[in-house]
Amino acid sequence: MGGDGVADDASESNPAGGVTVHVRCSNGSKFSVQGSLESTVGSFKAVLAQSCDIPAEQQRLIYKGRILKDDQTLLSYGLEADHTVHLVRGFAPAASTNTAGATNPGGPNATPSSARGVGLNEGGALGGSGFGASLFPGLGINSLGGGDSLFGAGLPEFEQVQQQLTQNPNMMGEIMNMPVVQNLMNNPEIMRNLIMSNPQMREIIDRNPELAHILNDPSTLRQTLEAARNPELMREMMRNTDRAMSNIESSPEGFNMLRRMYETVQEPFLNATTMAGDTGNNLGSNPFAALLGTQGGAQAQDQSTNPSVTGSETTTGSPVPNANPLPNPWTSAGSGGAQTNTTTRSNPVGDARQPAPAGLGGLGLPEFERMLGGMPDTNSLNQIMQNPAISQMMQSVLSNPQYMNQILGLNPQLRSMLDSNSQLREMMQNPEFLRQLTSPETMQQLMTLQQSLLSQFGRQQGSQEPGQIGGGTAGTRNTMGLEMLMNMFGGLGAGGLTVPSRSDVPPEQLYATQLSQLQEMGFFDTQENIRALTATAGNVHAAVERLLGNPGQ
Amino acid sequence: MTLGSGGSSVVVPRNFRLLEELERGEKGIGDGTVSYGMDDGDDIYMRSWTGTIIGPHNSVHEGRIYQLKLFCDKDYPEKPPSVRFHSRVNMTCVNHETGVVEPKKFGILANWQREYTMEDILTQLKKEMAAPHNRKLVQPPEGTYF
Repeated sequence: MGGDGVADDASESNPAGGVTVHVRCSNGSKFSVQGSLESTVGSFKAVLAQSCDIPAEQQRLIYKGRILKDDQTLLSYGLEADHTVHLVRGFAPAASTNTAGATNPGGPNATPSSARGVGLNEGGALGGSGFGASLFPGLGINSLGGGDSLFGAGLPEFEQVQQQLTQNPNMMGEIMNMPVVQNLMNNPEIMRNLIMSNPQMREIIDRNPELAHILNDPSTLRQTLEAARNPELMREMMRNTDRAMSNIESSPEGFNMLRRMYETVQEPFLNATTMAGDTGNNLGSNPFAALLGTQGGAQAQDQSTNPSVTGSETTTGSPVPNANPLPNPWTSAGSGGAQTNTTTRSNPVGDARQPAPAGLGGLGLPEFERMLGGMPDTNSLNQIMQNPAISQMMQSVLSNPQYMNQILGLNPQLRSMLDSNSQLREMMQNPEFLRQLTSPETMQQLMTLQQSLLSQFGRQQGSQEPGQIGGGTAGTRNTMGLEMLMNMFGGLGAGGLTVPSRSDVPPEQLYATQLSQLQEMGFFDTQENIRALTATAGNVHAAVERLLGNPGQ
Repeated sequence: MTLGSGGSSVVVPRNFRLLEELERGEKGIGDGTVSYGMDDGDDIYMRSWTGTIIGPHNSVHEGRIYQLKLFCDKDYPEKPPSVRFHSRVNMTCVNHETGVVEPKKFGILANWQREYTMEDILTQLKKEMAAPHNRKLVQPPEGTYF
């Protein structure tokens, strides 16, 4: 963890005496600091942090065309008195980088607020001051993954669920008050990473410094999150946005301004979503693919109505890259149902073992799910599942019936389903069963179980989506069952999806950013780095822990 | 002895010229939005240089740091140095496989004059990044190299 390194370096720094070094910021401002040339770059950054508004872990120092590494001394770069170094604010600080956050299934969820702000009220979402406010509550909740994707979960009537949510902000508040969620909320870093780790999003932000500013200002984020927690405040915010919009529109040139905004923000946004649909590889790393409900939905519909897609799905048993966009349980259009189901079905049968635990992860452990989501193959998945620490974590969550009940109780659809299937309820509430579920050995058993559940589910699904059954007969019988189970678990999202879609990207490409971060931190063995990143699904923090401590495995 | 680089009547020898550039790079004299320095301080011919461009504002490059390798052969500054991106970048004048800035597509190298410096090249490249045809190109992830 870079942050730690910096802190450590800082503690041993002794900038007594030393020389004057000029620092030139990327915004053109200049200042000078006193520092010892013997000190490390890391501690020098700590000194700089006192003179500028860039925290040490975000600083990138450049001297003589080279990026200075934290663990080297200034002297080793040949720095002398009165020389100038350039200071640039880097993105995502190395510390607590959960870059794999991109695979968080929560990502694509256009939550009620953003559905209203972005999807239904396209213009409104772009309204000047309201923009950040209406966008970020959405993004914020997106990162809850577990708790909240449970609501969407691809259950057939989720348009209803969505409505319910929008109409019942209390429920939203309830979600926001869940401890897991709060934890996430209180860490704006995670959210920023979530956004920054998406190339398309980053591009948008690159082009719109104002947006970046919003992102870089933790207080703004926190404020919006706070608002999302408080139904009153949220309603108020929504109203304000609408008001602001009409104000802008009625002022001269206002409409043009809005149009410009649309062009600079909304369009790339849409591009980002379509791009994700086009390139299967990008899928996993683009949780925003489905953020714009209509767009993503339409696309998914296209694919679901395309017989060749379903056809190939039923025949292939070998892993194929998943070319469908991420499911968006919150899609404002009704097409969402089709979307989710299509994507699930397209999971090759051979991979069936993977999605199940990923779905379990969805039960409220977004981090864990993210990890699972990034798993490139069954082996590493199994590895993870066998990792004592992980299984312990899983068990502690799953064996807590209270927690399970909370999750189950929160979702009306799920609850009603459970009510009509007492067997299922028993299952879900039996910690023993859930624990078993997490064991790789029982994955096969699970499959059989799903098949036995199939008839029930098939009927249920058939009544709602007659067309689907036709596409998903025989060949996909067990995946269908799986699909339903996954839907129930709600972790469907990226968990299951990214597995196939990611597996064909070479790790050095997939984890390029993280690799360079590790390099910068002084881990020079690329192979080892890749191994660590693969094992931790791109979580730099965890990778570093692994590289340093080299635990188990 | 004055080493005014602007003086057209005085032909500044290669080494003096490079030393001057080195000093400007170290002290951040000039434009200040680019940074450059020598790779190997022991190379008496001062051939290998590293340059850094900080992505210009209002472009996809903003906030990114691009590293370049410049090679000033012995005929510098009569001939332009060879310029190559080390960090992966997507620009019209940069070869997609090698990262080499193609002189034919990049004015300052195509119409090289001996008064031009490496700083000029870097600042021109930076301007190029902000040019309409490069400003919005999708860029490879940061931290990848040619």
